[in-house]
Amino acid sequence: MAPREDTGALRRWGQRHPTMTIGGMLLGLVVLASLFAPAVTHHDPIKPSFSQRLSPPWGLGGTRAHVLGTDNLGRDILSRLLYSGRVSLALAVAAVTIAGIVGVVVGLAASWGGGTADAVIMRVADVQLAFPVIMLAIAIVAVVGTNPLTLVGVLALSGWVLYARTIRAHVLTIRGLDYIDAAAMLGASDLRVILRHVLPNTVAPILVIGSSQFATMVLLESGLSFLGLGIQAPLPSWGSMLAEGRDYLSNAWWLATAPGLMIALVVLGANLLGDGLRDLLDPTLRNVEG
Amino acid sequence: MKTYILRRVAQSALTLLGVSVLVFVILRVLPGDPARMLLPDGAPESAVAELNRQLGLREPLIVQYGLFLRSVAHGDFGQSFQYRAPALRVVLERLPATVQLTVAAMLVTIAAGVSLGIGTAVRRGTRYDVAGTILAVLGQSLPNFWLGIMLILLFGVALRWLPTSGFACWTSLVLPAVTLAAFPTALVARLTRSSMLEILNRDYIRTGRAKGLAERSVVLRHALRNAAIPVLTVIGLQIGALLGGAVITESVFAWPGMGKLIVDAIFFRDFPVVQTVLILSATVFVGINLLVDLFYTVIDPRIRYS
Amino acid sequence: MREQHSRPDQLGRRDFLAVSGAALALASAPALAAGQAKRSGEIAAGLSERMLTLDPANHYSISTTSVLRHLFDPLIDVTNDSKFVPALAETWRPVNNTTWRFTLRKGVTFHDGTPFNADSVVFTLKRVQSNTKLIKSFVYQDIESVEKDGDYGVIVTSKRPFGSLPAHLTMLGMLPASAGKNEEAFFQKPIGTGPFRFASWTHGDQIAMTANPTYWKPGIPKVEKVTFRFIPELSTRTAALRAGELQVIDRVTPDLVETLKGTRGVKVLDVPAIEAQRWIFQLGKEPVKDQRLRQAISLAIDRGVIIKELLRGYGRPVDSPVPPGLIGHMTLPPKVYDPEKARQILKQAGYSNVSVDIVLMKDFYPKQLEITQAVAAMLGDVGIKLNIKNLEIASAREQRTAGTYDLFFSGWAHMPHDPDWYFGQWFTKAGSEKLTRYANPRVEQLIAEGRVPDAKVRQAKYEELERIVWDEDAEIWLYYTVAIYGVSDRLRNFEARRDYYVLLSDVSIV
Repeated sequence: MAPREDTGALRRWGQRHPTMTIGGMLLGLVVLASLFAPAVTHHDPIKPSFSQRLSPPWGLGGTRAHVLGTDNLGRDILSRLLYSGRVSLALAVAAVTIAGIVGVVVGLAASWGGGTADAVIMRVADVQLAFPVIMLAIAIVAVVGTNPLTLVGVLALSGWVLYARTIRAHVLTIRGLDYIDAAAMLGASDLRVILRHVLPNTVAPILVIGSSQFATMVLLESGLSFLGLGIQAPLPSWGSMLAEGRDYLSNAWWLATAPGLMIALVVLGANLLGDGLRDLLDPTLRNVEG
Repeated sequence: MKTYILRRVAQSALTLLGVSVLVFVILRVLPGDPARMLLPDGAPESAVAELNRQLGLREPLIVQYGLFLRSVAHGDFGQSFQYRAPALRVVLERLPATVQLTVAAMLVTIAAGVSLGIGTAVRRGTRYDVAGTILAVLGQSLPNFWLGIMLILLFGVALRWLPTSGFACWTSLVLPAVTLAAFPTALVARLTRSSMLEILNRDYIRTGRAKGLAERSVVLRHALRNAAIPVLTVIGLQIGALLGGAVITESVFAWPGMGKLIVDAIFFRDFPVVQTVLILSATVFVGINLLVDLFYTVIDPRIRYS
Repeated sequence: MREQHSRPDQLGRRDFLAVSGAALALASAPALAAGQAKRSGEIAAGLSERMLTLDPANHYSISTTSVLRHLFDPLIDVTNDSKFVPALAETWRPVNNTTWRFTLRKGVTFHDGTPFNADSVVFTLKRVQSNTKLIKSFVYQDIESVEKDGDYGVIVTSKRPFGSLPAHLTMLGMLPASAGKNEEAFFQKPIGTGPFRFASWTHGDQIAMTANPTYWKPGIPKVEKVTFRFIPELSTRTAALRAGELQVIDRVTPDLVETLKGTRGVKVLDVPAIEAQRWIFQLGKEPVKDQRLRQAISLAIDRGVIIKELLRGYGRPVDSPVPPGLIGHMTLPPKVYDPEKARQILKQAGYSNVSVDIVLMKDFYPKQLEITQAVAAMLGDVGIKLNIKNLEIASAREQRTAGTYDLFFSGWAHMPHDPDWYFGQWFTKAGSEKLTRYANPRVEQLIAEGRVPDAKVRQAKYEELERIVWDEDAEIWLYYTVAIYGVSDRLRNFEARRDYYVLLSDVSIV
């Protein structure tokens, strides 16, 4: 009796929260396909095949062997798309996590510390925001070199401010609440108050920001790889696939369109998931922009 | 009120100074050598050293910064390494094209974004909503250059309705503005939608409906006015994004604007041009945010002392 | 005296003669004008490389050389088959190994009407030699003196033999001596002797020029106006040609040839260029210091496949470091593809799982990343791992200077149609100090000996040194490039040049 009720409950939950479900499913599909890429496609994403250059997708003049066609080195595009997914998604997740941790810590420090600490941190954030991300990226990559860690660092750098500001605003609002004062009066140390009372209340906005930031990170990573500041060839990433397809838009448009649509799919999924999470957890967060 | 304004202005000034120092230092710390970028591969080391000396790059960092501040105070932003012309002139030459593109893209963003947002909010849950959301996501996530080149191929080459590139007359603005506006339009649309949704459910709206006011009047007059604040915030932020995101659009459309100028200058290590553009755009960015903040205090006194 | 007055309604004899004389003059005017050809139309060209300056002495860019050739004349022009022909100089003779004598063309005027003479040449050459802030200055440092020899003669002496001086002078437009009074103002509205006059320009975006009706070559130019637009983005440049907005574009990639050929009103012209695509080694560093490894790398690369598949045939196999048509070209034994031999050499030399870094300057050469990835696969087949570092240009060059690379994707377009610069830069100890760290005293000596004006001597010296560097595998010479241009059917007499110059002074449009 119990299992059947469970699936029914699950399905009804899914029907009640369509946005989250669809978003989650889209993302999940992409993640799974990327993770299990070798099972999905048997083509090598890196090894060139000169005689197969620039074949169109199946149905538009191409063959079934290469469903999405081949690129300028004869490599199967679907295969490259999926293997790229591993790289791009992993980077986005890592970046969001790090940005989140750094942002929350800084935001807490700024709002709890108050006074000068707050002013300084907010000024630093302002200065960073007034700077185009691309210049920071070029600077960092030029000095440190291009490797996935650097890329994660740059992505995280572009994202922490939003967390910090949101947490700070949240904390400043909560701070005046009675039960916080009560806990402090009862002798709880600052750290304890933060950990037990403030932090749990910030989980909801963090999750919501995180999911929309994830989409931003995917876009940003592709932009940086596109500029040559990210993943190095021949390892594929969506951004570098876009970059390599740029000169072929007039005669082999599928090279750049495939990664573009894939990115769109991921962003759609992440945004729907984020919207759904927000609806679920805290409707008052509607105006948080990420 | 006055202290608040003064405080915000002082903060803005500090931010700008911080930006100028950051720009200055980062440029000179970057690997790569302006003289080596200007001279051909076949130039001897002595020529490279000599040109660096001529460009004033052999002085200590502090001295260079001091000289820089002093000349900026006189309105002199130095000579572009690439063009050998005053950096300010080179940048300002490109300003009109950028401003016109930004304004055009802003207009498209506001018109298309707000209408799409309202349209999908009012028709929530229907096919139109779904279609609108998908359109918005596409706008937010399809690469700029992909959209731009596709538009060029369709409207410029195949149909020959519009110019393919450059800034010849007002029709040249259409394709680049649409391309540039795609991303912010999507953001504005989604934000407008969620703001509208939130407000459309509020009590005073229901009261208005109950009182028999026409739906349209309800939507436009009450809901929109209250949804304006967050939308305005995003639009303000997007101006900065437009200036930054214009880089790719300007490359694709060979648009003689500042976006492409600064990216080329960064890659070329043309310090004076980079410094000039960044300081100018930081000034605009900080200035606009200052104005928006002050505007808020006018609209909503509750925010004044946050 | 009786007053003479003509009657208003009757032509007097003198009047009649005057009128008919005028009529005759008018009648013959079209014949004169036809000798000067009727100018008509406008041409718009799209170049991929931005033009940064209007000063012929302050750049080394191919596109800028093309454009400024329309405003300024040099002393000597170079034809598409690398022959030097008179422009503003009628003759040029080496008086001895370190002295050149030029005689100048008479009857030439600058755009403002002032005459061209030796003063202009002396000013231009002295300026580029003494002002070390100018980018071309270092080339002319060997010049010792520039003296007038009458109003239409110039004598140039140099500290060391300067056999390639005429070649370099093909890229240096002559300035009026008056430019020296206020250079900044001059270069805002420059004046030359060229077939076109300056009209307007926006830095790095486009330049417009109108015909010079008093140009010294009859019948030139053939159009009223010429505009050059700088469009680095390939798809945009080709779109503009296909839409009819431009009549000629340069740097078309092999993959787009079919698309252009299939567009109505557009044709494709191509010509083997005097440019070699090459990979250089960091010869001062392990492991590529070892000649055997270099040889193995060379054997492992299938240049034929690169040319056939990736370049679609728009490339030529290399038979000497100097491309055909230039002094010094010869036919050396071709670099073959033999992966088996490569593996053997590696095994004998004790290399297993060797890994080398190649640095590329981002977007510098067309299809560079594609070719590098292809070669990486080829090298992987013989057991060499190639790590690709696609860096922004400034960082890449920095690494090259610092020597922290093994291979570097490079190229060389022989702009002055003379290989002396190439050898002097890459194969002398001083020149390659911060580049390839090449050092071979015999080669260095041959380069110095090849600087004399005698062409036969130069050919012999260059052949000997090329044999040495070829055997050493000092560089990987991948292929000679092919210059591909997209041209509108409306243009007449456009020549696809081997040096990538786009020259429009004798092109007409229908």
